[in-house]
Amino acid sequence: MLDYMQFVLAPQMLNGFAFGIAIVLMALGLTIIFGLLDVINMSHGEFFAIGAYAGVVLLASGVNFWVAVALVPLLMLPVGVLTERLLVRQVFDSADRHTLTLLLTLGLSMIFYDGLKMVFGPNPLRPDNPIPGGIEVAGVFLPAYRMFLIFLGAAIIAAVWAIIYKTSLGAMIRAAAFDRNMASSLGVPVSAVYSATFAFGTALAGLAGILLAPIFSVFPTMGHEFIVIAFTVVIVGGMGSIKGAVLAGLLLTQVQAIASLIISPVWTDPILFGIMVLVLMFRPQGLFGRLGHG
Amino acid sequence: MADDGSVTTSAPRSAGATAAVRAYAQERIEWRALNIASIVFFAGAVAFGVAYGLKGDTFYLRLATEALIFGAVALSVDILLGFAGLLSLGQALYFGLGAYAGALVLKQVSESFWLVMGVSILVGVLSGLIGGLIAIRARGVYFALITYGLAQIVAKVIYNTRELGASDGITGIPIVNVSFGFWQTKADNPAGFFFVVLAVIAIIYLGLLYLSGTPFGRALSGVRINENRMPFLGYRPDRLKLAAFVLASTIASIAGGLYPMLRGFVSPELMYFDASTNAIVATMIGGTGTLIGPLYGSVILVFLKSMIGTITTHQIMVIGALFMIVVIFFPRGLLGYLREIVVARSRTKDGGGP
Repeated sequence: MLDYMQFVLAPQMLNGFAFGIAIVLMALGLTIIFGLLDVINMSHGEFFAIGAYAGVVLLASGVNFWVAVALVPLLMLPVGVLTERLLVRQVFDSADRHTLTLLLTLGLSMIFYDGLKMVFGPNPLRPDNPIPGGIEVAGVFLPAYRMFLIFLGAAIIAAVWAIIYKTSLGAMIRAAAFDRNMASSLGVPVSAVYSATFAFGTALAGLAGILLAPIFSVFPTMGHEFIVIAFTVVIVGGMGSIKGAVLAGLLLTQVQAIASLIISPVWTDPILFGIMVLVLMFRPQGLFGRLGHG
Repeated sequence: MADDGSVTTSAPRSAGATAAVRAYAQERIEWRALNIASIVFFAGAVAFGVAYGLKGDTFYLRLATEALIFGAVALSVDILLGFAGLLSLGQALYFGLGAYAGALVLKQVSESFWLVMGVSILVGVLSGLIGGLIAIRARGVYFALITYGLAQIVAKVIYNTRELGASDGITGIPIVNVSFGFWQTKADNPAGFFFVVLAVIAIIYLGLLYLSGTPFGRALSGVRINENRMPFLGYRPDRLKLAAFVLASTIASIAGGLYPMLRGFVSPELMYFDASTNAIVATMIGGTGTLIGPLYGSVILVFLKSMIGTITTHQIMVIGALFMIVVIFFPRGLLGYLREIVVARSRTKDGGGP
């Protein structure tokens, strides 16, 4: 029993935790963009994939992994700004904003997905683990890279929370999310805030991409695969809720990690989906409220 | 306008009645335009089938048959989006379930066209009930995401189920004999099977056209225009949406049942997101809420893909770009604009504007 805990359960939960942190980063981008702009970004998964591929390219061209981790989110910023300015804004004021922005970002995701396949080929790539090895604590082996991912990710999540709730920029974002017109007439540069937020969410997706690259492989359809779980997290946590994304992300990935010890990993996705359906039945708005709404 | 849902409560009753009459007249003109478009579509399809059948062509007839089959999936997207206002991102799920059911029936039970049709209807109704009961609990974007998730997950499970052929799918499906009593053909006869599929699609289309004019069809539009107002008129939006969902999944499943007869195999890709996306792209290109538009859109999309396919293997990129252009600049689609032009012309003919 103790052996099981030590060699099976604990490492599995730790893996789930590292994965969960990365999923939270991705879900945070989705939920902030939805909370502020009311836009479902279907290309968020592809932003995640682009981040991973950008990391692969940087590493292959000899850039140090740590520099790459810092560079990728910065490179993603213009992608986000351009998407928001050139695409989302085209249909933003339409009555069908929800549907049209969803369809538009869906089209964008098709282009990105096929583009990645064209440039990098369909086969998975995998960057080397930048910090191999690990340490043993109380008999449990802690892989160094996963520990690093957990600490860095947690720090970024804390930083996101601090930016949204403790800075004037965050106050502007929350104000614009609550009432765009009122915020605008009080002098909040709503248009710039929208672009900045979209870019910020995109950067988070790209960061999640490069951080997960050494653990999971990098492949063109990765965006499609990971966005399903990110959407599940965001729906369970509450669309537009930061707290919800963090808690639901960590919780659901633990459920997935532990369930895959008991049943075939193929069936863990239906379990997460079942949880999401249950949440929707009893709390359609998700566990927590929306950004800017209390 | 018939579609903006506004009711001028402050106007005198007679003015309101006149407005209603005018809205009704305009809608008649709109549907007349669409009916002409649908006659052109089906007449064109028959002419195409006869001409290419006499020529002994295989490639284009097969391609057109595929366009019609995918056109039915697009129709099912249009029922949900154009009428009930629900965007389904997972319509390929029901298409794929119908296709798998059809393949299994043909391989293991009986090589009967009619049995496949019956089973695919049954599969469509049952899976639509289950999927619908889950999905219609959610509104708006949540609905879209749930249909998406449901399709992804079922596809993944089937991809990993060895009994269903896993990633290879089911191959070696026998060639079906289709008999209508007075006339019969085989599924490997390109022209013959094209007409079989055309007949199925025509029946579905006419059925939907009829439904759109019934109280059920009108109530569905009511759900799209203002769901919150419907309960006050004595309707149950949930039931209407579920009915629309089951109807849509059944149509997609029937189309699925036809697919293994055409191609001789089924694979998990049929349920994937790309397949669902294609149905949405076809619907948007053709025009949502027009019924005939999605069929036009599907033909355009399938032939365009085939054309692009001779130049590059990266069709998805081109289709994605085309789709974005349609969403930004022509959100009403081909038939939507045609309808507008016809209405505008009839207005100038009458000498009166709105």
